[in-house]
Amino acid sequence: MRWISLLTASAVALTSTLMGTSTMAQTKIDFFFPVPVDGKLAKELQRLTKVYNDSQKDVAVTPVYSGNYDDTKLKAQAAAAAGKPPAVALMSANYLLDLKLSGDIISLEPMLKADGTTREKLLSDFWPALHGNAIVDGDLYGIPYQNSTPLLYYNKDHFKEVGLDPEKPPQTWAELVDDAKKLTKEGRYGFQLAGGYDYIGWLMQTLVMTNGGRFYNEEYGGEVYYDTASTLGAAQFVEDLIFKHKVMQQGVLDGGAVSSNFLAGKVSMMLLSTGGLSFIRENMKMAYGVGFVPKNVRNAVPIGGGSLVMFKGLNDEQKQAGWKFIKWLSSAETLGGWSRYTGYFAPRISSYDMPEMKEFMSKNPDAKVALDQLPYAKPWTATYQTVAVRKALDDEMQAVLSGKKKAAQAVKDAQKNADALLKPYVDQTAMKLP
Amino acid sequence: MKKTSLTITGLMLVVAFLWSTPFLWTLVASFRPDNAGGINMASLVPDYVPTLANFKEAFESGDFVLYYLNTAIVAFGILAAQIVTISLAGYAFARLNFPGREFLFYVFLLQLMLVPPVLIVPNLRMVVDLGLYGSLLGVMLPYFASAFGTFLMRQTFRQIPRDFEEAAIIDGAHWWQVLWHVLLPMAKPGLVAFSLVSLIAHWNEFLWPLMVLNDPKNQTLTVGLASFAMGTEGGKEWGLLAAGTLLVMFPLLALFAAFQRQFVDSFMFSGLKG
Repeated sequence: MRWISLLTASAVALTSTLMGTSTMAQTKIDFFFPVPVDGKLAKELQRLTKVYNDSQKDVAVTPVYSGNYDDTKLKAQAAAAAGKPPAVALMSANYLLDLKLSGDIISLEPMLKADGTTREKLLSDFWPALHGNAIVDGDLYGIPYQNSTPLLYYNKDHFKEVGLDPEKPPQTWAELVDDAKKLTKEGRYGFQLAGGYDYIGWLMQTLVMTNGGRFYNEEYGGEVYYDTASTLGAAQFVEDLIFKHKVMQQGVLDGGAVSSNFLAGKVSMMLLSTGGLSFIRENMKMAYGVGFVPKNVRNAVPIGGGSLVMFKGLNDEQKQAGWKFIKWLSSAETLGGWSRYTGYFAPRISSYDMPEMKEFMSKNPDAKVALDQLPYAKPWTATYQTVAVRKALDDEMQAVLSGKKKAAQAVKDAQKNADALLKPYVDQTAMKLP
Repeated sequence: MKKTSLTITGLMLVVAFLWSTPFLWTLVASFRPDNAGGINMASLVPDYVPTLANFKEAFESGDFVLYYLNTAIVAFGILAAQIVTISLAGYAFARLNFPGREFLFYVFLLQLMLVPPVLIVPNLRMVVDLGLYGSLLGVMLPYFASAFGTFLMRQTFRQIPRDFEEAAIIDGAHWWQVLWHVLLPMAKPGLVAFSLVSLIAHWNEFLWPLMVLNDPKNQTLTVGLASFAMGTEGGKEWGLLAAGTLLVMFPLLALFAAFQRQFVDSFMFSGLKG
């Protein structure tokens, strides 16, 4: 008897395999993702992909961990050049313009059309601040997936200790300086900015925006506003925090070092991404609070984080499979779960209507502050050659942080270097005259 | 006399300590309980009750057994192929007479001048064309020939007096028998030195495996480690990072400790500076 059932079972298995391959071939696609926050996120994304693979039979997604955002860009571009483009890649939100200009990523409009929807309809559920980086030249190129803004983190115990109200973080640059002066003592600084590559550029954009500035031309990829009053004021403010007010440590500290100092009580206030919220919540032993980024002229913050994009060179099946996976990954439910797990805010507004999310927000009032700051958020700097143009300012600001350059000179040099990098694009566009 | 040697010993100790600080810190931090960074995170003094929690978390964050296996396949596989190719090529450049030998040799050496990232796209295209994209063999293939190894073996063979070979040839040996029975045994120090350099380079390589490999099942150690070392937007879990780093370097460390004498001897012999 046993061999009969075994035979039947194998026959059934064989038939179903044959049927499976002949009628409905499974489409295999790659999903490239970086891990910009915390290592266990790589495991979680692999788990999510498995949940998706198990939930349906048409698409098999291989989750590919691909380093940081820059590595991911390099890997995806190399793979596309070699004929193996990833169907879906999680890309830094401000690379989209650059990747569109270099012809590496494809417009998502045809997929929207096939679904019988429009860009406006889809984006109406995403926070308005995220639209700018997702749309390039009027077409949708990315779906926001994990997003952040800068946030002021402060140590409530330190506030109490020096007689400050622990429920009132500084609202303005003037208050920030006053509070930081009180908080600074032997072995402790009142305030700290992360100075590593990328981070310093992002935080400079934040300070420039709160100083009333625009930092770059949101409508045109060939202009940055480094040598302006708003940028000079922000750069001078950073220089003064270290050398005039003496409330910030001299030198370049990367994000990891700043948050370690904050956890250790060696710094009382810091500007860090909302993406670090879960990490601080889990590891901070003292009482802490979060607040808006202090302003000089107005409240404003740039967004950060990553969007899902599709690379060129995919065949129709891969395109459809990739789009299906993107839709699943960017559903209100998946985005809500990812937000709770990581500390990023959920890009979809409707994620916050879900019961799990409501419960989470009531338990974690700090996540609420990040959300309240969103109406003041604006797109992230994105230009032709985004990384190099951003680095032009990063380099100069690091020189300011180290005391090697004065702010006034730094913004002039940053502008000069950035203009040189932008020139090829400007010559092809704004300066190409009849 | 006595005093100067004492000073030298003292100076050497200071230098040795400075050189080993990163390693000492990694060691101390990996057993520290407060993994996200307490007040003493930067300290070199193990002022705590040691814990294995960081190692446990590292093992949970990545499939280290699999990463070890994949990395070992890549590093030793490359080395095995290289030993064959560099011995034969080194022999050809050292002993065979053919037109354009010197010119070809220098063209070969030009490869050393190329910065590896420049070759990423062309190499990747070739790996895809050969159907090896995403496979460990695809990672290994571009390294099967080594300009540095060929150069090293050519120099090593040239240092060996021809008398030994001539004696063998008189006895009726073919060139491959000469190579196998006479030259290779005498070139062993050179081969050992090269093996060490090659193993370390490919064990630690990050960018190229990252480009070629996709499936988590084929991931190597460095890429696996990077997944919990890259957290720039949030904070760094230093303890976990230190434990992971120790796990990655441990086999190389053990290898070096076991074969230390041979390694140092072979470097002395081949005149290589570490």
